Amino acid sequence: MTLIDRRIVQHINWGLIGLTLLLFFVGVLNLYSASGFRLEGGQAVQPYYQKQFIWGMMGLCGMVFFMIFDYRHLKVMAWPLFWLTVTLLLLVPVFGKTVYGARRWLDLGLFSFQPSELAKIAILLIAAKVLSKGQKQLDWVPLFGVMAIGMIPAGLIILQPDLGSGLSVLLLLGGVILYRGIELRVFKSLVVLVPAMMPLAWFFLLHDYQKQRIITFLNPGKDPLGAGYHIIQSQIAIGSGKLWGKGFMAGTQSQLRFLPEKHTDFAVAVFGEEWGFVGSIILLALFCMFLYHIFLAAQDAKDRFGSFLAAGVFFYFFWQILINMGMVLGLMPVVGIPLPFISYGGSATVVNLCLIGLVLNVSMRRFVFKRA
Amino acid sequence: MNTQFEPEGQAPPRSGLLLLQGLVWGLFVLFALRLWYLQIHKGDEYAEAALENQMRREAIYAPRGLIRDRNGTLLAVNQPAYALGLVREDCPDVTATLDKVTEWTGYDRLELREKFHKFKRLVKPFEPMILIPDLPFEQLAVIEANALFWPGLEIVVRPRRFYPQGALVSHVLGYVAEANEEELQKISALSMGDDVGKGGLELTMEDRLRGGKGLRQSEVDATGRRLEQIVVERPTAGENMVLSIDLPLQEHCHTLLEGRAGAVVVMDPDTGQLLAFVSQPGFDNNQFVTGLSETQWATLRDDPMHPLQNRVIQSAFPPGSVFKLVVGSAALEMGVDPKETIYCPGHWKLGRRVFRCWKKGGHGRVDFHKGLTQSCDVYFYQLGDRLGVDVMSRYAVAYGFGTRTGIDLPHEKAGLIPTREWKRERFGEPWQGGENLNMAIGQGFNLVTPLQVTRFIAALVNGGKLLKPLLLRDSEPMVQSRLPLSDEHRQMVLDAMVSTVEEGTARRLRRRDATIGGKTGTAQVVRLRASEDEKRRKTEEMPYEERDHAWLASWGTKDNKNYVVVCMVEHGGHGSSAAGPVVRAVYDHLFGKPR
Repeated sequence: MTLIDRRIVQHINWGLIGLTLLLFFVGVLNLYSASGFRLEGGQAVQPYYQKQFIWGMMGLCGMVFFMIFDYRHLKVMAWPLFWLTVTLLLLVPVFGKTVYGARRWLDLGLFSFQPSELAKIAILLIAAKVLSKGQKQLDWVPLFGVMAIGMIPAGLIILQPDLGSGLSVLLLLGGVILYRGIELRVFKSLVVLVPAMMPLAWFFLLHDYQKQRIITFLNPGKDPLGAGYHIIQSQIAIGSGKLWGKGFMAGTQSQLRFLPEKHTDFAVAVFGEEWGFVGSIILLALFCMFLYHIFLAAQDAKDRFGSFLAAGVFFYFFWQILINMGMVLGLMPVVGIPLPFISYGGSATVVNLCLIGLVLNVSMRRFVFKRA
Repeated sequence: MNTQFEPEGQAPPRSGLLLLQGLVWGLFVLFALRLWYLQIHKGDEYAEAALENQMRREAIYAPRGLIRDRNGTLLAVNQPAYALGLVREDCPDVTATLDKVTEWTGYDRLELREKFHKFKRLVKPFEPMILIPDLPFEQLAVIEANALFWPGLEIVVRPRRFYPQGALVSHVLGYVAEANEEELQKISALSMGDDVGKGGLELTMEDRLRGGKGLRQSEVDATGRRLEQIVVERPTAGENMVLSIDLPLQEHCHTLLEGRAGAVVVMDPDTGQLLAFVSQPGFDNNQFVTGLSETQWATLRDDPMHPLQNRVIQSAFPPGSVFKLVVGSAALEMGVDPKETIYCPGHWKLGRRVFRCWKKGGHGRVDFHKGLTQSCDVYFYQLGDRLGVDVMSRYAVAYGFGTRTGIDLPHEKAGLIPTREWKRERFGEPWQGGENLNMAIGQGFNLVTPLQVTRFIAALVNGGKLLKPLLLRDSEPMVQSRLPLSDEHRQMVLDAMVSTVEEGTARRLRRRDATIGGKTGTAQVVRLRASEDEKRRKTEEMPYEERDHAWLASWGTKDNKNYVVVCMVEHGGHGSSAAGPVVRAVYDHLFGKPR
């Protein structure tokens, strides 16, 4: 089997690559500004942007790696990877190390990693494999079957406790299920049932600090120096950028450190302050074009497995963008989910680029079996 | 080709593709609208809020009011002190910075971290949190040189209290120290690291002494440079105070009691102003301002002489024979004829019990005047038996005992004047006849503070006015009540006090150039058992804690100058021999040495 066919190389989706690189460099540039640090009479910059750049280079290698093999080989790996993930998640309570009161990490000697990251990829593959079979819209029974599969890793992650990652796994799965389609009557029942379940989650699933975040989101003025501080300061930062922004490295909200977590979760607020409405709309448009290219890959994929893979990646990014920007713009409660490419984060950057590699893989092989 | 690959031709779900497209558009429209709302629609509003954030406000410390004695000598002043502050928002790595501070200052690392976390919520954004209120000069130099590399650290110059007289007036002034969490919550004008009055006048006069902080505002640009500074509000200095205390007299009294535990109070009986207010041993209140170390605190706390105890108002002792002034005057008011005599054989019998007079051989025939002058116990047993507890306690309370004097100092004790109801409640037993006799000579349950005695003697001298004891020179006299005692009877008591000095138990005070009246008291701490009663031990033979308390309450007049001098020596022994020389020396200071 030839790995790199000339025909395949011809069909590489340069648009998606370009958008990805553009977003990545905007992120590094913004990080440079966001990690600026005032010293007595001068400024210094913490080296987050350098680290992010190095992680990005590693991510690009990962991206190329995920492009070369035929994505259909992943189908056989879906179940083994799934059970490996579940096993690792089961090991976490036994061997995991505790950071900030939660056991999420497995120490592998050289480095430690979170099995919950692996779980996202495993669910992506499982969802694509299981849901790409058959054409009919899902009825109750298959719906519950898929949900049950997803609940195994998600439940284990929530128990760690890491509600954020657990819900991302479920959201990813939910997205792919919607992509596949549900029977109309089932969908109608769910529209009624899911909101009805909310109070149960409030009482049994959420920790006090999480409830507090939701309360604060609904009424940030109640505690302007405490929990509401982040929400208020983030909106002041973005709002005060007005039409044209305050200029690169000149955002007072971020440079004077009124913005919390400005190089991670709230990084996009720095961008909004310094580049204004014009810059923000351009960035938003870049993200939408980026998502649109992934959608095109799902639409043009040669087989349903590839299409579902691309759809899974679509939802992987979509939820992060929605939740992070929603939080920064004051439309959602504070949840610690980063914005792809813009927020600082080593492993997230690598995973993001690898998944783009997967989409490119699907996209470039879209004509392989086309009958002439 | 691999056969495991599914057959082609199965199109992706149409509804799914529509969904993805819809989501992309929805995302764009939703956030574009929100961005427009935040940045265009409300942009000006948020720009103003951001500008407001650029304004840094710094407090300008107000000097605390100065305290002087009545001659103008400074007793409490302010000195510049250098504190180490931390601006959290400017600090990239709080833990490392705190560790560095430990390295420079030798502070306990965990203690410092705990402090940081405890006070984090109490400090406004960009306000320096005071980590170390007072830096010694050597450390200041080290930190000044290195602070550049540790953003967030700031040297804050603040006024700090200093008491030049130290232990001499510590029981009057009290002290200030760093405000704790509770005080910060209660007094909104305080911010973290501020000093607040914790004892004495510093506590009771806190609101007047504190003054109001000023406010300095400056705008900072994105790099944190201050653009310009404006004083928005000038600080207002705290009120200066002049005490009624006469420092040379205070120092004299302090020296007289050196090495012993006790109290000396000198009052102007006409105004109620206190000229000397001494409780020995004293403590250096400057220690509290700079912060006590664990060992310093342990030394103060475990000192058997209890230097922190303010014996003028916080220690209540049995009054001993001083109480005979109360019982005697009450008897006159109840119609007892002062000329009436009884015979003192050296003891008094009540039922089967025998109550002894301090003079074994007895005083012979005793009337009111002789009874007080010689402090004859038998005469007062007889009065106690006739008056009973109800009358005696009624008069004692009217004379200001058993209630606080209302002096402007914290934690004053009320003392105790027993009643029948009190006894029943406290012990569940009725009042015994014998207890009338003990009460009449100032033993038993009675407890009084030296200040209460002072106020009572002043009332005898000034025409019957019970005055609030005052510590400020410019306060007007405040009459709290009048003694229920006729001028005639009051004069009889005063005459008896003069005779006590001329020929009675307080002869040590006698001097030709002044009129002095006095009454001694020797308050037993341990009740003597019958067997021991026969061979009374000498004071020096008794263990310290069992020795009697010595009292001497007196007044003196010379050239229209009136003073009340009361001395109490804890476990001092006999009133005349232990307290007498002290009071004598006080009059020497007040009236000059007699020629």
